[in-house]
This record gives sequence, C-alpha cells and structure tokens, in this order.
Amino acid sequence: MSQIELDIRNLKVSFSTPQGNFLAVNGINFQLHSGETLALVGESGCGKTVSALSILRLLPEPPAKIISGEIIFGNRNLLSLNTKQMREIRGKEIGMIFQDPMTSLNPVLTIGEQLIETLLRHKSLNKKEALKISAQLLGKVELPSPEEKLKQYPHQLSGGMRQRIMIAMALACEPKILIADEPTTALDVLIQAQILELLENLKRETGMSMLLITHDLGIVTEIAERVIVMYAGEGVETGPTKELINNPHHPYTKGLIASRPHLGSTREKGHRLTEISGSVPTPHQRPTGCTFHPRCDWSSEQCKTQKPLLQNTNQKRKFSCHLQPESI
Amino acid sequence: MTDNHPFLEVRNLKKYFPPRKIILENNTAPVRAVDGISFTLKEGETLGLVGESGCGKSTAARTILRLEPPTSGSVHFKGKNLASLSETELRNQRKEMQIIFQDPFSSINPRRKIGDVLREPFAIHGFKGNVSEAVMELLDQVGLSPDYVDRYSHEMSGGQLQRVGIARAIALNPTLVVADEPVSALDVSIQAQIINLMIDLREKIGIAFLFISHDMSIVEYFCDRVAVMYLGKIVEIASSEEIYKNPEHPYTEALLNAVPGLDSGLKKQKLKVRGDIPDPSNPPQGCSFHTRCPLKEKQCEEMEPALKEITPGHHVACFLKEG
Repeated sequence: MSQIELDIRNLKVSFSTPQGNFLAVNGINFQLHSGETLALVGESGCGKTVSALSILRLLPEPPAKIISGEIIFGNRNLLSLNTKQMREIRGKEIGMIFQDPMTSLNPVLTIGEQLIETLLRHKSLNKKEALKISAQLLGKVELPSPEEKLKQYPHQLSGGMRQRIMIAMALACEPKILIADEPTTALDVLIQAQILELLENLKRETGMSMLLITHDLGIVTEIAERVIVMYAGEGVETGPTKELINNPHHPYTKGLIASRPHLGSTREKGHRLTEISGSVPTPHQRPTGCTFHPRCDWSSEQCKTQKPLLQNTNQKRKFSCHLQPESI
Repeated sequence: MTDNHPFLEVRNLKKYFPPRKIILENNTAPVRAVDGISFTLKEGETLGLVGESGCGKSTAARTILRLEPPTSGSVHFKGKNLASLSETELRNQRKEMQIIFQDPFSSINPRRKIGDVLREPFAIHGFKGNVSEAVMELLDQVGLSPDYVDRYSHEMSGGQLQRVGIARAIALNPTLVVADEPVSALDVSIQAQIINLMIDLREKIGIAFLFISHDMSIVEYFCDRVAVMYLGKIVEIASSEEIYKNPEHPYTEALLNAVPGLDSGLKKQKLKVRGDIPDPSNPPQGCSFHTRCPLKEKQCEEMEPALKEITPGHHVACFLKEG
C-alpha cells in the first residue's frame, strides 16, 4: 500500500450558536494516500467543508472549535501546531482551492500581485523572479497570454479563468496535497469539464494527492479513486469509487445514486425517480441511533436507538449500518 | 382552443437590454439576451430549454410570460397575441401562465405565513369559493401537511419551500408553467422528490411545462422535447430521445459529453470546446459558436447558419449538418 500523506483520526468539530452547540463533524476518520484523489461526498450541511477547513485550521475559532481528534501530516499533528508553524504548511505543503472563484480573489489587486504573494512568502525570491514563475504557472493552467493576465484584475476575467488562477495560486509552491472544495460547482458544465481535466493532468504531472469535496457523484466517478460518503457529520461509507458506485452498501449511498437520472436512461410513462424521503436533519436535531434512520426504507427498532459501528466487507470498504449489504 | 392555433407559439422573439453604462467606457451595443427565438409548444407538452449561464434561457422564459416586455417578435398563447392584450386582459391571462422560480428562499415572502402566501393568487383573481379549503387542498397536492399554513419560510427546508412555490404556481389551474431551474438550488436527495412531484402534477392536471435547466440528465428525464440555446439563439431543437441519441450541433454534443457520468467505464469520446461563452453585447460574426467550435470551417466565420429541419421534428443550425 502506498504511503499515507494525511491521516485524520476521530475529528470532532463543534460550533457554538445562539441555539446551542452542535457537532458539525462528529468523529470522522480517513487517510489520504500519496498520489491519490479522495472524494468527500455529501449534501450541504454534512460536514465535508468543515472537515476540509479543519485540516488547514481555517475555521474561525470561535464559533468553531475542534474538540477532539488528530490530523497527522508527515509526523506532526496539525492540531498541535501554533499559528506560525501553520503558516508554513498552508499554501506551501497543502494548497486549497475554493468553490467560488469570484469571491476568493481580491478584486483590488492584479492577478500578478496576488500570485506572487504565495511565492514571496514561502520562497526566497525577488519580485521579478516571482513574476516570472507566476507567468509560467499561468501557462501551466493553460491560460492564454499569461504575461498580460498578470496585469489584469479579477473582474476582467471569466469564472473559468478565475478558477484556473486559483489553481495556479494553490500550486505555486508545489504542495504535496491539494484540497479542492467544490472546485467546479459555480461553473458551467463545459468549463467544469475543462477544469476537471486540468486538475487531473496537474495531479498526474506533480504526483500530488488531492482531497476533493463535492456533492456530485458524477464528478467523483470521473476523477476520484476513493470516496467517503458523509451524512450528518459522519462518514457513513467508504471504498474505491467504482466498487462503491456499482454496489453501494449503505442505504444513503444507494439512495443518492438512484435518485439521479442517468444520461441515456429512457423514461417509461408513469415512471418516477427513486427518492430519499424527508430532508437532511438540522445539526441541532440529529436523530438518535443511526442518524439516517428517519429517512431509511430499511430502518428497524435497533436503528432508532443504537448507533451502527463501522462494518468491513473487505479491507478497503467500510460502512456504518446495522444491516448486511445483501439485504438492502 | 381551436386546432389551427398552436397552444403556445413564440415567433422570432427578441429581448435586448440597454448597454450598461460604465464610466469612461464607450459601449453602446445592447446586450442581446434573446436574439430571435421561435418554437411552438403543444398542450400538455414539456419543452426543456438548456444552455450555459448567460445564454438567455431565463430571459426567454420571462419574456414569454411578459414579465419583461419583448424588444420584438410575438408570443401567441392559445391563438391570442399577448402583446395586443390590455393590462386587465393580461392579468386575466396570467391565471393560466405561471412560473416556479429557482430559489424558493428569495421568491417567497419571509414575513408572511405560508397560508397567506398561498391565499394570494386566489385573492388577486377574485376566487369565489372557500379559499381556506382551496389552500388546504393545494398543500395536500404538493405533499405538505395542513399545519404548514401557519409557518414562515425560515422554518422550512429548501425542498419544503419549493413545494410551496409549486403550490402557488398551480393554485389557479394554469395550463402553462415555466419552471426556471426549479431544483438546482436543492440538495441532491431532495431534487428527485421535486421532479417526481412535478411529474405527478403533470400527469394529473396536464400542465404544459417550459422547463429551464442547465442539467442535461434532468432535462432528458423530464422533458418531451429539448431546445438548446447558445448566445440568445436556439441552435438545436428536437425530441428528448432524438437529441440525446443523435445530437447534431457540436455545442449540444459538447454539453452532453461534459456531463460527468456515473458510468465512467465507458469513456466518452470528448469533443473539446475551448474558451468561454462570448460577450452577448458583442456576439461573434457568423455562427455564434464558431469561436469555440472544434469543427469550425471557413464559412462558419462569415455566415450565420439558419435553423433547418434535418429529420422530421429535428432542427439544427449548423452548416456541417446540412449535407
């Protein structure tokens, strides 16, 4: 097995709100291996973004608080580092791109000024050298006429171009890990395809690992090798993408896959989509036992009271359900 | 409705917006949001309008409903030219033409109870029966329990609130409903619920839908026919089955190829489209897609292809498909 790049152990993150405290992430565990793409999938509010932000310690504390767990990177626990040490990790060792390229760039600085910031911070370069590397980076993310782009402001560029710039910025210091939080959600489908292809190519070239956060199982199948399905702050199922999609073990995963119409599937008259009933519980009112039981077609008395433990079907696949996969 | 009038006929509809005034910039060209679209819709039929953001699909829908006055062109609804109607006549006609918006949180008044929101259409159109009963019936039709009448929008989830949006739209038994990205603001597990609800209503009440979406798989699933829009124009229109099996326009093909699939075992042959959608106030000469088209030829830069019928019911605007 390949080397473990990042190891998240029993991470719990709580938020304090006027309505009381709640756990946005309730004990998640996963490992990111070197060179792989791992996807965290789930609906809004499932804790996928909070998990990712915790890795870089980017959550505002308060209201957020990491109440337990370890995030092991190299041989250090990121949760025990001070601000200064964390700064050496961010952007240099672990890069991140965000969902909305419109708001993640500074509108009053040129692209060049923003790009060299990371380089100047982490590498001993002068401004001229940094600008030269920046232009190369823009070429790498396949932006036409990079020198010209360096002098432009974000509003002069389209959403797709801005996301390419975000990627260039995240990769400036050749990080070992790239965290991509819904990198294409704000983009149109044709631009999305371009960005996904770019990410794949860059990953292959640099050998970095990628943690991809998305709600779209389609994207997961296109670029991730492994998946973790999250629901209500917990990882409910994990496994290699193909296996997991073709043979989901958790009722939630199964429901998610079935509720999407596939391209090319013709609809018989009167046919309806398979739905998951109800809606995602709010973090203040998470159900007891298995958090999915009120929406689950197979739930029993046991599910209402007892939290299912992670089951293994083989070394790579885990899921938390009282039932055996054959019975759903 | 008489047989010689189509249920809905849109003819060469255009909607231009005046140029944005930017200090020190001299732009006088209007934004051509909708640039001459024509199609017909049969009673009870569902037409999907697809395209990337900025292609004019939402503006087209709003202009058809006359929520925006058109720049030119006409919309005939059951034989009546909507442009010729007076304010009162138009308001009367609106009973039959309704809209469901993308974001239920911004399209439902947060300061009013759901019951009041649903009472409004009845009040506006002078409903003679028992309004409270009608509201209860509406809630039941969209799968919400009666106690929702006393709730406010912030007490509800996106999916529940979109059900209210649908209930409001169908309150007065419309024959045409425009659904503008009705599920794209919702979570994946909720999208199927809303699509199913619309399918049920369609089959029960026989509403014709104009379904606007950027999601190709949902459009294929929900629509009878599909029109693909690019830069304010329809570039291809055909039955769902036909357009997904035999996409003729390179843009349609690219859109379909770009959908990340769950069956990634079959790696699709990718038609690569580079670059972004051009500025609609300065559309390219010739075919508007030529700047991104991987198959472009010399004539595409000079002349604009017309929408032509290549097989019965399948229209496409592309020189390469004219044979």
